[in-house]
Amino acid sequence: MVSEGIEDEEKWLAEGIAGLQHNAFYMHRALDSNNLRDALKYSAQMLSELRTSRLSPHKYYELYMRAFDELRKLEMFFKEETKRGCTIIDLYELVQHAGNILPRLYLLCTVGSVYIRSKEAPAKDVLKDLVEMCRGIQHPVRGLFLRSYLSQVSRDKLPDIGSEYEGDADTVMDAVEFVLQNFTEMNKLWVRMQHQGPVREKEKREKERSELRDLVGKNLHVLSQIEGVDLELYKETVLPRVLEQVVNCKDEIAQFYLMDCIIQVFPDEYHLQTLETLLGACPQLQPTVDIKTVLSQLMERLSNYAASSAEVLPEFLQVEAFAKLSNAIGKVIEAQVDMPVVGSIGLYVSLLTFTLRVHPDRLDYVDQVLGACVKKLSGKAKLEDSRGTKQIVALLSAPLEKYNDIGIALKLSNYPRVMDHLDSGTNKVMAVVIIQSIMKNNTCISTADKAEALFELIKGLIKDLDGTPVDEDISFFCFSLMRRIFKEEQSSVARLIHMLHNDDPEEMLKIICVVRKHILAGGPTRLAFTVPPLIFCALKLVRRLQGQDGDVDGEETSATPKKIFQLLHQTIEALLSVPAPELALRLYLQCAEAANDCDLEPVAYEFFTQAFILYEEEVADSKAQVTAIHLIIGTLQRMNVFGVENRDTLTHKSTGYSAKLLKKPDQCKAVYACSHLFWVDDQDGVKDGERVLLCLKRALRIANAAQQMANVTRGSSGPVTLFVEILNKYLYFFEKGNPQITSAAIQGLVELITTEMQSDTTTPDPSADAFFSSTLRYIQFQKQKGGAMGEKYESIKV
Amino acid sequence: MVLVLALGDLHIPHRAADLPPKFKSMLVPGKIQHIICTGNLCIKEVHDYLKSLCPDMHITRGEYDEDARYPETKTLTIGQFKLGLCHGHQVVPWGDLDSLAMLQRQLDVDILVTGHTHQFKAYKHEGGVVINPGSATGAYSSITYDVNPSFVLMDIDALRVVVYVYELIDGEVKVDKIDFKKTATSQSAH
Amino acid sequence: MNYIVGAFKPPCNITITFADGRTGKQVPLKKENGQTVMVPLFQSQENIVGEVSIEPFHGKKVEHNGVKIELLGQIEMYFDKGNFYDFTSLVRELEVPGDIYERKSYPFEFSTVEMPYESYNGVNVRLRYVLKFTISRNYVSNMVEYQDLMVRNYTPLPSINNSIKMEVGIEDCLHIEFEYSKSKYHLKDVIIGKIYFLLVRIKIKNMELEIRRRESTGSGPNTYVETETLAKFELMDGAPVRGESIPIRLFLSPYELTPTYRNTNNKFSVKYYLNLVLVDEEDRRYFKQQEITIYRLQES
Repeated sequence: MVSEGIEDEEKWLAEGIAGLQHNAFYMHRALDSNNLRDALKYSAQMLSELRTSRLSPHKYYELYMRAFDELRKLEMFFKEETKRGCTIIDLYELVQHAGNILPRLYLLCTVGSVYIRSKEAPAKDVLKDLVEMCRGIQHPVRGLFLRSYLSQVSRDKLPDIGSEYEGDADTVMDAVEFVLQNFTEMNKLWVRMQHQGPVREKEKREKERSELRDLVGKNLHVLSQIEGVDLELYKETVLPRVLEQVVNCKDEIAQFYLMDCIIQVFPDEYHLQTLETLLGACPQLQPTVDIKTVLSQLMERLSNYAASSAEVLPEFLQVEAFAKLSNAIGKVIEAQVDMPVVGSIGLYVSLLTFTLRVHPDRLDYVDQVLGACVKKLSGKAKLEDSRGTKQIVALLSAPLEKYNDIGIALKLSNYPRVMDHLDSGTNKVMAVVIIQSIMKNNTCISTADKAEALFELIKGLIKDLDGTPVDEDISFFCFSLMRRIFKEEQSSVARLIHMLHNDDPEEMLKIICVVRKHILAGGPTRLAFTVPPLIFCALKLVRRLQGQDGDVDGEETSATPKKIFQLLHQTIEALLSVPAPELALRLYLQCAEAANDCDLEPVAYEFFTQAFILYEEEVADSKAQVTAIHLIIGTLQRMNVFGVENRDTLTHKSTGYSAKLLKKPDQCKAVYACSHLFWVDDQDGVKDGERVLLCLKRALRIANAAQQMANVTRGSSGPVTLFVEILNKYLYFFEKGNPQITSAAIQGLVELITTEMQSDTTTPDPSADAFFSSTLRYIQFQKQKGGAMGEKYESIKV
Repeated sequence: MVLVLALGDLHIPHRAADLPPKFKSMLVPGKIQHIICTGNLCIKEVHDYLKSLCPDMHITRGEYDEDARYPETKTLTIGQFKLGLCHGHQVVPWGDLDSLAMLQRQLDVDILVTGHTHQFKAYKHEGGVVINPGSATGAYSSITYDVNPSFVLMDIDALRVVVYVYELIDGEVKVDKIDFKKTATSQSAH
Repeated sequence: MNYIVGAFKPPCNITITFADGRTGKQVPLKKENGQTVMVPLFQSQENIVGEVSIEPFHGKKVEHNGVKIELLGQIEMYFDKGNFYDFTSLVRELEVPGDIYERKSYPFEFSTVEMPYESYNGVNVRLRYVLKFTISRNYVSNMVEYQDLMVRNYTPLPSINNSIKMEVGIEDCLHIEFEYSKSKYHLKDVIIGKIYFLLVRIKIKNMELEIRRRESTGSGPNTYVETETLAKFELMDGAPVRGESIPIRLFLSPYELTPTYRNTNNKFSVKYYLNLVLVDEEDRRYFKQQEITIYRLQES
C-alpha cells in the first residue's frame, strides 16, 4: 500500500512535470515571438500544474522549482515588454484576468517584481498588494509555496534603507511590515496543516510539516537581513509581532521551531536587550513545547556572546540578564506543570552553564541556581530516573569544571543540598567526580572547615547512607563487580586524604581530626582503605613537628607528636573491627619507628607491644607470619630509643617468635635475621657479638634439622641454601669485626657445605650451587682485595 | 637496545594520591619494553596503569600489596644481563648494601633491583649492580626523610647498561646517568 | 440585405457617408451572419448628418418615384423572426420623383435624434439602429441601402453607489460575510471586495465569483429568460478557517458586458448578477447571487 502510494506519487509528479514542460514550450515560443497574449495564456496553463493536491511537499517542491525557473524567463520577458511600450500597470492588470487563482497569483507576483523594479509605484504599495492578494490561497502547501515565491522575488526589492527601492521616512517599516505579514500568513498555513486530514496520518503530516518549516523560517531570516532593523525597531515591532504570532498559533511544532529560529537568526546583542520580551513568551507556549532546548540555545548563544568580548559584559549586568533568565525559567517550570523533573533540571543546568560562563565571579548566582534546583527537587522522592540524575550530575559537575577548585563548590551552600537529592549510587558517582576534580587540579584542601564541608559533600562514599550497601540477592557476578566499584571508590577517598594539607601544624591536626571523625563513621568495610592514608598523613605531620620541636612545650599547643601518637593509636585500633590485623601491625610498626625518631620511648614501646599482641593473637597465616616477623625484626633493628630492659624484652620476643615459625627454612631465615638485632653497624649501635653468634648457631641448628627432615622427605627446597645463607651472615659479621666470628668457623662452614653438596643424599640444586659458587667467588674476591680485608680473609681457604 | 623501567614503592593510595603529573607525562605507552616493579603499588588501579604503559611487567610483592600473587623474588634475563627483583623488606637490615649483596649472590644476578627504603641508590658491587629506584611517588618512609619521587630507566644494550635516574626535585625533573659495563670476568660461573 | 437589391443588376451605386469624419470613428458590430463589420458609433441626442451619393452606371438612368432616407430603431425577437418592431422611425424625403442621369449627392441630417436604447445583440433579442435609404421605383422593386449604426449611451458616475454587504450562511455550517465595494459598475470597472469567514465547518475546496447575465424577453406567458455565465473567476483555493478574509479583485474589462437594461420598450430587459459560489470537497455548491448594475461610463 505504502509503496504503491509512493509509486503513484512518482507518476503524478512525472505527469505534472510533463504538463509543465509542454506549456513551457509554448510559452517559450510566445516569448520568442513577443506574443504577450499567448505568453500569458501558456504561462497560466503551465502554472496550473501547481494546483495539484496529490504531491507530498517534497515532490511538490520539485515541481515548484521547475516552475520557478520558467517564471524567471517570464519575468525577463515582462521587463522587456515594458520597454516595448506595454505599461507595467497594464501588465499588472492583464495578468489578473486569469481565471484560476493560483496561476494568477504567481503571475501577479512575477509582474509585481518587475513593477517594483520599474519604480512606477512605491515598492511598499506593490508589496502590500501582493501579500494581501495571496490570501486567496488557503491551501497550506500551495499557499506556503506561493508565499515563498513572493518572498523570493521580493527579497532584493524590499524598500529598506540603502535599497534603491527606499521610500519615504517609514521605509524600513514598510519592508518589515511586508515580511511580517507574509510570515504570519505562512505560519498560519503551516500550523493549519496539523489540523487537516485524518487523525491516523498525524505522523505523516508532522513529517511533511517539518519538510516545510524552513519556508516559514526563511521569513525571519529575511527580517534579520533587512538593513535598518536596528535594535529599536526589533524591540518595538519585529520581536513583539513575531512573538505574537508564535504564541497565538498555539502549535507545538511551530512554537519550538520558531523560537529556535528567532534565537538563531537575530544578533545576540538584540536578544540581550530584549530578554524580557523574549523570555516573557516562553511561559505562554504550549506545555508540550521543548522549551528547555530553546532556552538552552538562547543561553548558549548569550554565553558565547559574553565570551566574544569583554566589552559586552557590562550589557549583561545592565539588563540583569541573569535575573531575567532565572525568573523566566522559574515561570516556565511553573507554567509547564507536566514538565518532567529532568526537564526542569536540564533548564537549570543550562542556566548554570550560562552563569559560569558569563558571571564566573558571581558565586551567589551559582548558588541561587542550585537553590532553585533544590526547591524544585524538594518534597520529591529521590530521583531514580537515570536521565534526571545525569542532569544533576551535570549540574554539580559544571562548577567543578569551571573553577577547577573544589573550594568554590564548598562555598556554595546549596551544593550539598542538591547532592542530597541523588540516589545513593549517583551520589557516589558525583562524589567520585568531585574527588577526581580535586586530583586533576591538584587542589589543596587547606583548612579544617573546608575538609569538613568536603567530607560532608562526599558522605555518600564515606558512610552508608541508606541501609545495607550490598543486597543479599545480588548475584555473585554483581557482587564482585560491586566489590570492585566499592574498592575503587574507597581508593579515591584514600587518595583524596593526601590532598588535605596545611603548613600550619595546628590546622593540619584539625584537618586530620576532621577526616578521622568522618572516616571512623564509615564502618569496617571502609576502614581498611581510609585508615592508612590518614595514619601516614599524621606521621608526616609528626615528622614536621619533630623537625622543629624542642621549644614546643606550651600547653596551649595541641599539635604535639605525643598527642598525635595518641590519636594514631586510637585510629589504628579501629582496624581491629575490620578485622585487618596485618595492616594494623604494619601501621603500629610505622608509628613505633616514628616515635623512635621523636625520642618517645614509652610510646614506641607501646606501639611495639600492640604489634606483638596482634602478631600473637591475630596473625594466623604462616606466610603472613613470616612477613610480619621480618617487618618486626627490620623495624626493631632500626630502633635506638629503647633502654636495655625494653630492648631485651622485644628482641627476646622477636627471636622467640622467629624460632616458632611454621616452616624450618622460615625459622632459620628469621633467626639469622635476628642476629642483626644485636649488632647495629652504627657508631652508637649495639654490638653484642656473643648474641649474634648465638643467633647464627641457632640458625645452623634449625638448618640441620631442616636438612634431616629433607633427607627423610626428599623435599624440594634445598636446605643447603640455608647453610650458604648462614655462611654469608658469618662473612657479614666477620667483615664487621665481630670477634665471635672466626675464620675457622667460616672455614668449617665452607667445608661443611662442600661436603653436603657432594653427598649422594643431597638433591642436586643448581640455584644452591650457584649461590655457593658466587659466595666462594666473593671470598676469593675479598682475599684478592688486599689491605685490611684481604688480610682478614688470608686464613680462609677455598 | 632495550628500555626497562624500574620503579616501586608507589604506596597509592596509602601514602600518596598518585604519580607526579610530570612523571605521568613522561611515561607513555609503547616506549618501554619491560617494567620491573619492586612492589608496594599497592592497588589494582596502579597495576593496571603500569600495564597500560607496557604489558611485559615483573612485580615482586611489597608488604602493602593487596595482590598476594606477586612473588617475593623474581629473576629474569634481558639481553646479556640477569636481573633480580625483590622488594627488600625481607632483607634485614633494610637497605644495607652488604646484606643486599648476599641476596644478589643468592639470586646469582648481574643487576639486583630492590626498594623499600624509598631512596634512590645505584652501586657497582662485586662487578654487579645494585639498584634502588626509590619511590616513584615520593611516598613517606620511616627509613628515609625528605623522599623525592624517583624512578629508573635502564637502557640495556648487549654488555652495557645505562641507568637513567629521574628524580623530581622541587618540581623539576632531574636526570642522572650511570653507566655500567659487564666484563667477562664478572659473568656468572654457571 | 442582398435580397433587397434583387435579381436585377442595380443601375447605380449608392454610397452613404457621414459628416464629422464619423466614418473614422467606428466600432465593430457583429452581424447576424456572424461577420463583424465596422459601423459608426452614435449616442442619443446626436445629429446624424451625412450624404448619400447616387452614381448611375455608365449610360444608365435611374427612374424613381422619389428618394428618401429613414432612421429606424428596431427590436427584433428571434422567436418572432423577421418581425421588426420599430420604436423609432424618422424619414427625410430627399428628392421628388424623376430621373437621375449622373452622380448626385443628397445631404441629410437627423438633428438631436432621440435614441434612448443602445444597440444590443442578445440571445433572444436584437436591438438595432439603421439608416434605410430607399429609391422608390415603379414596376421594379425599390432600391434600398441600409447602413447600421451603433448606439451607445453613456451615463455619468452615479451619485449614489452603495456597497453590497451581506452576511449569509447555513446554520452551524458556514457563515460568511461578503462585501462588494459598489453596487453599480461601469464596463471597465473592477469589482473590489472581500469575503470574511465567520464560521467554517465544511471542507471547502474553492470559491468562485461568477458574473451572470439574465436576458428576459417578451412579457406575460411569453416571457423568455436566458441566463449566461459570462465569467468564472476563482477567488480562493483551499479551505479557509474562521477569521480568514479573502480579497476580491475582478476586472470587468475582459468580459463582453453591456450596461444593465432594466426595461427596453417593454420588450426586454438585461440584468447582471454576481454569484458567489463556494464548492466543498464533495463538489456541493453553496452560492449567493446579488444583482449589480452595469452602466456605460461617460468618458470625461
